[in-house]
Amino acid sequence: MLASVLFAPVVARADAVAPSLVVHLRADHIEFYYDRYLIEADGHVRVRMSDGTTVTGDAFSMDLKLNRFLIASHVHLQSSGGNLDGAAIADFLDFRRIYFVPVLAKPDRWTYENGDYRRPIKGREMPGDTFYFPDLSHATPQLSAKSATIGAKSYVRFGDVTSYVFHVPVPLPSYYVYFGTNQDLAQNSLSGANLDLTWNATGSNNTISAVHLRHDTQNGNYLAFEQHFAGAHEYAVVSVNPATRLGKFWNMNAGDRIGNRLQLNVFEQYYTEQHLFGRQHAAASYTFLDLNQALPHSYLQAVIQQTYYNLIGKGSPAIPNHPIQLHIYGSSFNNRIFKTPFYEQIHWGIGFNHDTSTGYHNVTGLQTYGGYTYTTIWDHLLGYTVYLPNFKFGNRDNPYKTFYFNATLSAQRQWFSVPHHTNSATTNLSVSRQFSRDISAYVAYNVTNTGDYYNHGGYTPYAPTDASGNPDYGFLAFRGAATLRTATLGINYSANPDFTASLTFDRHKDFPAAVPGVFPLPPTNNIGQYLYTNYLGQPPYDITGNVRARLLPHLMIDVQRTYFFNFGTEKWSPQFLVQCTQ
Amino acid sequence: MIPRPVRAVCAALAVILLAVNAPISITGQLLAYQQGYVFFTTGDGFRVAPTVRILDDRTKQPAKEAPAPRIYARATFDASGTVVELDLSHRPLPVEPLPADVQQFAVVASTPFPNPELIPKASDNAAPSGMDVGVSGKIVLVTITVQVPPSTPFGSQIFITTDASGWNPQAIAMDRIDALHFRITRHIASGTILHYLYTRGSLQTEERAENGLDRKPRLLRVSDADVRLVDDVVYAWADQSGGTQLPQPNTLPTPYNPAPFPNLPPGLPTPNPR
Repeated sequence: MLASVLFAPVVARADAVAPSLVVHLRADHIEFYYDRYLIEADGHVRVRMSDGTTVTGDAFSMDLKLNRFLIASHVHLQSSGGNLDGAAIADFLDFRRIYFVPVLAKPDRWTYENGDYRRPIKGREMPGDTFYFPDLSHATPQLSAKSATIGAKSYVRFGDVTSYVFHVPVPLPSYYVYFGTNQDLAQNSLSGANLDLTWNATGSNNTISAVHLRHDTQNGNYLAFEQHFAGAHEYAVVSVNPATRLGKFWNMNAGDRIGNRLQLNVFEQYYTEQHLFGRQHAAASYTFLDLNQALPHSYLQAVIQQTYYNLIGKGSPAIPNHPIQLHIYGSSFNNRIFKTPFYEQIHWGIGFNHDTSTGYHNVTGLQTYGGYTYTTIWDHLLGYTVYLPNFKFGNRDNPYKTFYFNATLSAQRQWFSVPHHTNSATTNLSVSRQFSRDISAYVAYNVTNTGDYYNHGGYTPYAPTDASGNPDYGFLAFRGAATLRTATLGINYSANPDFTASLTFDRHKDFPAAVPGVFPLPPTNNIGQYLYTNYLGQPPYDITGNVRARLLPHLMIDVQRTYFFNFGTEKWSPQFLVQCTQ
Repeated sequence: MIPRPVRAVCAALAVILLAVNAPISITGQLLAYQQGYVFFTTGDGFRVAPTVRILDDRTKQPAKEAPAPRIYARATFDASGTVVELDLSHRPLPVEPLPADVQQFAVVASTPFPNPELIPKASDNAAPSGMDVGVSGKIVLVTITVQVPPSTPFGSQIFITTDASGWNPQAIAMDRIDALHFRITRHIASGTILHYLYTRGSLQTEERAENGLDRKPRLLRVSDADVRLVDDVVYAWADQSGGTQLPQPNTLPTPYNPAPFPNLPPGLPTPNPR
């Protein structure tokens, strides 16, 4: 592959944007190299283009990213220019150039421009790598097939597939791969799972139909189905998960960019308890709507959440409760403050929260205060951010002796119709330096202050002490004010792009102080993770190591673990975090 | 005893004399073998002698298979430029442009003429002079540094999601270098065109444009250079508005998902009026 590029110091330029093209390929043996986006086929190759042109030959090679293909050996071209035999033909789809080696009385070199097979340009020089095959000596195919439908720069739909899952061949009737640039086709609407084997059964330039074989600690093994739609400005993903369990989530995640200034995102969830499509024993729904309006030098954002716990009525065990929240936020752009190195941003918001009935936790209304139960709470907020990015000091002429100072201050006050307001402020300071090409480090200090202030009364004074009579600054001491401080030292070592390591040491000093094991362990989510810790705040000390190394040309492994210095029962973080990245 | 300079001259003469009589040969990868010609992936076709010997390149014994596309081969020519021996190999052999003395053996019906499309011209890869520097596929050290919004939680991890990874929101992990910046360095071949966005690990925490809307993926074209530095600024995250953390989609409470909403444990002191 690299060799093929090396021998092409200059490539032809696109004169026109290629129309949407579909290439239909059949062969005795087709292989797909997912990590390199290569399709290689051998034996009775037959290619049919969307303009009706057909080409047969012995070997086929296509680089999906470069959007060009090659057919070689005993080539027969059937086109608007007639029937011709040749040794090889290469189609550079982006550039609308077809390079052909016909074998008539003698071999020759013909170029067709813009799909015009009737006017070959004979003898014209061709790009150096026109007929090169990629080097596959160290490559392993991810699937093999008998046919492939290739949407140029977009997708491939394979037929009669054998997929290799952990090197085990798995026969599938079809498999779909998307490699285009439309990110909206990657949207999903499924919740997390411990294991997800996805079969993209079919799809096109705008759709994907996928079946998921999943496993999680709550549901065990089950199937889910997901359907994706995406256009130039809109998308929708609908799913049912788990499809083979009594309790089913029917999800829809959708978005639409309406013009250049308005955007709508919707997440809709419908829960049913039913066997397959049988009678529903319970049903509930949840709606999340996010509307964004761009304004000159600012923007507005409206967020609506609404939940219906009982859509069945009598007979359902669920209480017919339907809380709703509506929030509207406004934010300015980041503005430089005169000609100083400082930037500012202002934001504001108003909110409406309503809940009349007994909720899931058997609590009526939103808040009881002064003997009155508030079923509706209004709020509004005003906040600002000031920050200083990358202020240099030290020896600015030497990149290894230059220090960078970054500072941010964000503050906000939020007022409620329950007579109180909350203040929050976050300050971040850091100094960093690149010590050498390999090593950089930073020190940072972060303070977050939160205060909850009632106009009349509020939190009662409390001076808790522990069994020894010493002050106890745990969560029982919380009386509306909290301060969380974190000092961080981070060191990055980057020997080369294929191996990096980092060490981060944190010192947390919080009020209320974190007390280990103060609460019983909470329930877990469906992938077995605790919903929250059994303490508030952060352990006083932690150190995190992270090593990232390249295992394969297209695979890096990232291993991370944290040590908590014997905070309660916590020594090491529960598990290694291992991620495979690119 | 023969003096050392004389020995060297004799050795050189011997090599030259042997080379004069040595048959001309090339190595490459086969494109086609048909109609009395063998074609290499350079696109060049050479006439094949009716009595051509098809051998295994390793054993020099008659090959057990016919010449076919993708197989590497060593072609040996006679003085008239006809291929008289073809040694086949499944192990890669050097694939190089044809030397001038072999190029003359290539059979082509039309007179070759230059292709104006292959002449360098100004493009996206143009150097400051305006001259196209082209792309050679050389490995370029690309360093990407991003400034994140001040509202970014300090414990956040930043990732790059790309079209090359199927828009996996955790495709490329970045390293924090200070309170506002993250960085990553990668080897990327020149000619690579990468569409990418920044995330905090999920599609719900993807970056937004300065006006709060979804932004089009960023575009990186890697041109021929030793080092490429990219500096980006993320203005907002999808789960934030200004400095405010937005409510996020939850899931319904069910027997399978008993406590979906973030909630504090019981026992927290509650305020009361005095």
